[in-house]
Amino acid sequence: MSMRPVECGACGNEVLVEKRSLPHTTVQWTRPTDRCPELAGRDSALTAVCTGLRSSIERAVREGTLEVGTDAEPADGE
Amino acid sequence: MSARSTTEDHGPRRIEAGAPPERYARGWHCLGLASGFKDGKPHGIEAFGTELVAFQAAGTGELHVLNAYCPHMGGNLAHGTVKGDALACPFHDWRWAGNGKCAGIPYAHRVPPRARTRAWTTLEENGQLFVWYDPQGTPPPEGVTIPRIEGAFSDEWSDWTWNSIRIDGSHCREIVDNVVDMAHFFYVHNSFPTYFKNVFEGHVASQYMESDPREDMTAADTLSAQGRLRSEASYHGPSYMIDHLWTEVGGATAETVLINCHYPVSPDAFVLQYGALVKKLPGMTDEAAAQAAAQAAEGLATGFEEDVEIWLSKTRIDNPLLCDQDGPVYQLRRWYEQFYVDVEDVRPEMTDRFEFEIDTERAVRVWRDEVDANLARRAQSAQR
Repeated sequence: MSMRPVECGACGNEVLVEKRSLPHTTVQWTRPTDRCPELAGRDSALTAVCTGLRSSIERAVREGTLEVGTDAEPADGE
Repeated sequence: MSARSTTEDHGPRRIEAGAPPERYARGWHCLGLASGFKDGKPHGIEAFGTELVAFQAAGTGELHVLNAYCPHMGGNLAHGTVKGDALACPFHDWRWAGNGKCAGIPYAHRVPPRARTRAWTTLEENGQLFVWYDPQGTPPPEGVTIPRIEGAFSDEWSDWTWNSIRIDGSHCREIVDNVVDMAHFFYVHNSFPTYFKNVFEGHVASQYMESDPREDMTAADTLSAQGRLRSEASYHGPSYMIDHLWTEVGGATAETVLINCHYPVSPDAFVLQYGALVKKLPGMTDEAAAQAAAQAAEGLATGFEEDVEIWLSKTRIDNPLLCDQDGPVYQLRRWYEQFYVDVEDVRPEMTDRFEFEIDTERAVRVWRDEVDANLARRAQSAQR
């Protein structure tokens, strides 16, 4: 698994995303959030999520452009 | 950084303990409740590898922090006396104003023109006193501040409880690491996390957590003793965390604000401070609110004691071996590093937004089984 670029459908910003499993998500921004309509402003770490970006990540998963890891539960159970 | 197993055997993992940084984190550091410094006496504080003194100017009522040692002959101003708006040295009665200027030497014709000691930049917010530390001597940039907590100024909330403990033999990174450490809440703090997410951006690092109490532990042992807990906790800078908590108690939601903060004493010692504010439930008296806050503080104290016990016997570890269900320790430390380098060396990756949501499915399942097994064992032994 590695980080893959995902473009936000709401603002066009591109972030790097990794999904090790469906519930897991890593998002690495590579530029400031000051142009994100949901996060712009001071102390945006106080906002847990940009819903526009989350929808885009979910769509990328549905459309198969973002691979989801399956190693969270190995076949032998451990 | 990934800890997935491979078929190759690389030999046993070697722990890199490293050495704690020689410098201290740039940022605001809470020294305690402001009221504690407003008794007309100077207060010595061992911090940042030196001695400080905090005092309240008798005239203006303002709190000031100076270097404790008098530049004249080294007397300790913490043993001196507040005289007007100045602090007088116990050794030769040299007077020091809150801005660091020598305000008078009673036995001398004149004050040497460059007589000045170090005055630390202070801030009073939320009923607490803060000092700004920056080894480069730069004042706090705009926007790098301590957010106001409305509950600290409202009659609808209790007063602060406040506790302080000194930890020797550990660097304060140990307490900061807890931001991402989901599993330790189950094993160390007897709480049962079901949701866990971190967001780091700029000088703020947040932890979003939902948890239940562990039913196999007695209520007094748990951080989330009462019921399902939602927590939004953020470090504002390197050392001051505000934790907003919502707990379900008998159909109502109890609101609590916890402060978890520290300041370094030396590279391997720090003072941990914590306090609680509780929002009064409808019809709650001041007394009952104070009691609820005291109870929250007690739970908090238990939690920190549990952490301290781990720290006292653990090693510093620069290369933790992680699994997928651990939080982003390395990215948290990358964020934390911004406070230990010069401002011009802060790299974008230290401050760029980073989000990490843990897949808690397996942990919740395994922990549920463990709790159930413990409950069954207890029921069985009760029957005997």
